[in-house]
Amino acid sequence: MSNQMTQQYDKRPRVKEQAVKGKASGISISKYVSYLFLIVLCIIWIIPVIFGITTSFRSQSEVVSSGFRLFPKKWILENYTAILDNTSTAPILRWLMNSLFIATMHTLFVVVVISITGYGYSRMKFKGRDTLFFTLLGISFFPGVVNLIPSYKIIDALGWVNTSWAMIIPGLAGMGNIFLVRQFMNGIPKDLDESAHVDGAGHFRIYFSIIMPLVKPVLIVCALFSFTGSWNDFLWPVIVFTDVDKMPVTAGLLLLQDIYGNYRMIGQLMGSAVLAIIPTLLLFMFAQKYFVQSINLNSGIKG
Amino acid sequence: MPMKKKLNLAPAFFVGPHVILFVVFILLPTFYGIYASFTKWNLMNEPVWVGLDNYRTILFDSKSTFHTQFNNGLKNTFIFVLLSVPLLIIIPLLVAVALEHKKVKGKSLIQSIIYVPGLISISAGALIWLLLFNKQLGMAGNVFGSNVSWPAHQPYAWILVIIITIWGGVGGNMIIYRASISGVSQDLYESAEMDGAGTIRRFTSITLPSIRFPLIYTFVMTTAGAFNVFGQPLMMTDGGPRQSTHVLMMYIRQLAFGNGESIAGMASAMAVLLGLVILAISALQYYVMNRNAA
Amino acid sequence: MKKKWGLSVLTLVLMLSTVLAGCGKDNSKTITFWTPLTGDDGAYMDQLVKDYNATNPEIKVKHVITSDMYTKLSTVLNSGKGVPDLTIIHADRVPGYVKQGVLEPMTAVTAAQPEIKQENYLPQAWSTGTINGTQYTVPLDIHSNVMYYNKDLLKKYGAESFLDDNVVTIDEMLSLKGKLAEGDYVVNDALLGWVILAQIQNLGGDIQENGKPAVNTPVMKQAFEDVKKINDAGLMTPFGEDGYLMFQSGNVLFSTDGTWSSTAHAKVEGLNFGVTNVYSPTPDKFTNRSSSHLFTMMKNKDRSEEKVAGIGKFLEFIRENSIEWAKAGQIVASKQVNESPEFKNYMQSFFTSSEKEIKSLYIYTYEYYPYIAEAVDTYCGDIVRGNVDIDETLQTMQKFVEDKITEGTSGAAK
Repeated sequence: MSNQMTQQYDKRPRVKEQAVKGKASGISISKYVSYLFLIVLCIIWIIPVIFGITTSFRSQSEVVSSGFRLFPKKWILENYTAILDNTSTAPILRWLMNSLFIATMHTLFVVVVISITGYGYSRMKFKGRDTLFFTLLGISFFPGVVNLIPSYKIIDALGWVNTSWAMIIPGLAGMGNIFLVRQFMNGIPKDLDESAHVDGAGHFRIYFSIIMPLVKPVLIVCALFSFTGSWNDFLWPVIVFTDVDKMPVTAGLLLLQDIYGNYRMIGQLMGSAVLAIIPTLLLFMFAQKYFVQSINLNSGIKG
Repeated sequence: MPMKKKLNLAPAFFVGPHVILFVVFILLPTFYGIYASFTKWNLMNEPVWVGLDNYRTILFDSKSTFHTQFNNGLKNTFIFVLLSVPLLIIIPLLVAVALEHKKVKGKSLIQSIIYVPGLISISAGALIWLLLFNKQLGMAGNVFGSNVSWPAHQPYAWILVIIITIWGGVGGNMIIYRASISGVSQDLYESAEMDGAGTIRRFTSITLPSIRFPLIYTFVMTTAGAFNVFGQPLMMTDGGPRQSTHVLMMYIRQLAFGNGESIAGMASAMAVLLGLVILAISALQYYVMNRNAA
Repeated sequence: MKKKWGLSVLTLVLMLSTVLAGCGKDNSKTITFWTPLTGDDGAYMDQLVKDYNATNPEIKVKHVITSDMYTKLSTVLNSGKGVPDLTIIHADRVPGYVKQGVLEPMTAVTAAQPEIKQENYLPQAWSTGTINGTQYTVPLDIHSNVMYYNKDLLKKYGAESFLDDNVVTIDEMLSLKGKLAEGDYVVNDALLGWVILAQIQNLGGDIQENGKPAVNTPVMKQAFEDVKKINDAGLMTPFGEDGYLMFQSGNVLFSTDGTWSSTAHAKVEGLNFGVTNVYSPTPDKFTNRSSSHLFTMMKNKDRSEEKVAGIGKFLEFIRENSIEWAKAGQIVASKQVNESPEFKNYMQSFFTSSEKEIKSLYIYTYEYYPYIAEAVDTYCGDIVRGNVDIDETLQTMQKFVEDKITEGTSGAAK
């Protein structure tokens, strides 16, 4: 399958800029259809979220009292104070700092790695390129079950046990983001950089001046995924950290939950879930205006 | 090839660093996992080589518990994939297209609402939905008058598993599609509009072809991800009723990290077989979609 | 704007890396102590460790709570580095770990601390760590499957007499058939697997025969059928409903959950509850299937003699002072604590109130118990609810356990 990705980008007819004035009636219908669909979906999506948040303000007595109430009869803060007061076993602020450091570093590295690697697999010509790419991708599809043991040994050999590197670096090896970036880059007409090549531009110039501006939205999407993924990982940190002070927040909050499956304080569980998502949610709100912003292939920047 | 000589080292520079990372953190552990599938191993001792025994048991020993577990788990995993993947592709695509509509207001808010569930941990998410579907305490019984205990009866158990999967899973693909569609030249739409092309025409003849590369990505990765499912059925139904939602990854994890002595060799063999299935299916998807897109 | 953003990230990163550095500690002067005690349990244990360190011992204890401890133990034991000095494990892990040779005997500890001996602990909590005459563990507690009752509901349905002889029989429960208001139930299905395993003892059976697993037995079938009667009479909370929450909502007379739940139940306002033994088919015998948190030392050649001496002192401190642990709802194993007047303030002291009660706390010590428990947990719901044929399923369960035993390495590699 080595050659199938090198095919030419289909050259669809470039359209001249034309002012569109009259709106066809079909558009207004689709506007209402769009609205209806989005609103219904949002209602279904938001109710569980609201219910989860409000449950974090309910007492256990209210959680188990019959009947459904989206909002609590009596709002209480005890679930949160119970989480935040436990500073000996649960230094939450410290955990948040750790997570912030780990996720930020990881994300910065990811953006660098996927940029150059994605460019290599999409824009450079070398023998066995697609074979290499698909082989690595295929290997990464094998579910890792016992991989934990060798992975730990490798981290140990590198001297990274109980350090943030154990969280920051291994994730960079993933293929998902590279695959995504490569797919995006493959959608960019090849003649753009080929003509730059002819003009004598090097790969770095081409990447930074032509390709990167065009794939910026997807880089932001990947950054968002990496940050969130790193933030939410709770299996690996449990294995590589022993020091409770070094834990990232998601793994740390697990220590606050009871060990007996369902038999826990429901409001408290919801409270810790709410605390854990606030930073990633803020990041999303901040980032979302950037990943839909793109640069028109023909003209300048548009919003 | 029309390449200058000095370029020959460049690919190694661009692709090389990641290859090293890949070898250290993915290839070596994966090889170890494959090696373990040919052994008896309890995670603590040295693995004991048993050749193809584990595979023989899983695939051909019809009386073995592991054979039945593998078959049942794989069947349920396929059901999950077939039910969830189409929805995880179509819903986000529709959302992205609807959001692209110029007249739609509050895009950021809508986008955030759909993305948030993906940030919530699976244990909290599962608890929320279980409470909502609880007959006494939730919406299903009190608002909609449902009298069924959802996690314990089919097809409701599957519906529950799929609902939480879709709820938590559409956000990621949605933003990929949003990023892709926003890159499509607005001129194309405008001229198509001039030509009198309707909404559906514009979607099929402009939007879809323009985002076909990201679309292939989401299809392949969503499917591969769905094959690895275990959190949602574990938390929502615990595999029941009658193990009808017990997916393969749940069996694998129980074998490797269950309460008794670990049966990690057998678990690895099942994982390798699952990996082969994922590999075959994603290769097929890629091949078919890529050819059709050409 | 872009530059500024990059700069501030860089500053943040640098700031944090300095914060994160300088956390290295000298491990030779601390006992690293791993526990799986998350949630409030961890905080109680933390307090105990703090109290001990406040006595200024030569070697202090560092308590590390791990949410996935057994997986983590596998990884460190496999790599041989980072093995903790002291660990708390559950009773059912002991036979397997001893067989795999990863536990250090407690001989040095018991030799140095004369009070750490069988007579000073609940007998079954101590003996669960005795394998072929060697002591591998020192117990912290027994935690058990128990039965909570809703006092108000018992009164409402005139069922208070059930508690008279401390045994609620299945027949007594069945006598409530047709008498309950809609939405009320006699008992829930919390920890159903443990309840079944208790019935096997009540019926005089066992889960092994000459070291071979015995799942497909008449006693096991009887145990399932007895419990199934409650379900068939419509007295058990419906399949798939959260019976634990239904008990807290005040719709269920009896809840068969664990000693540790008493603290959670106590936080529900208006829930007027007490605790008794898990129901039995016969008034003559009752059993509460139990487990135990046990201190143990995983094999680690770097553990110095001083540390072992320090561990002994810590365990002796626990033996004398673990009343704090009663707050977690558990039955403290040390007699000095569980016979003290202060322990009587805790609800779970019911289970140490008489010889018969202490005996009812049953810990399975069969080496393949974990596989059997897994089989029972996997299939009990469907059997009790009548979703599956009982004979066929018992055969499947027997095969399930046997197959796991043959595939386990200890079954093969000798």
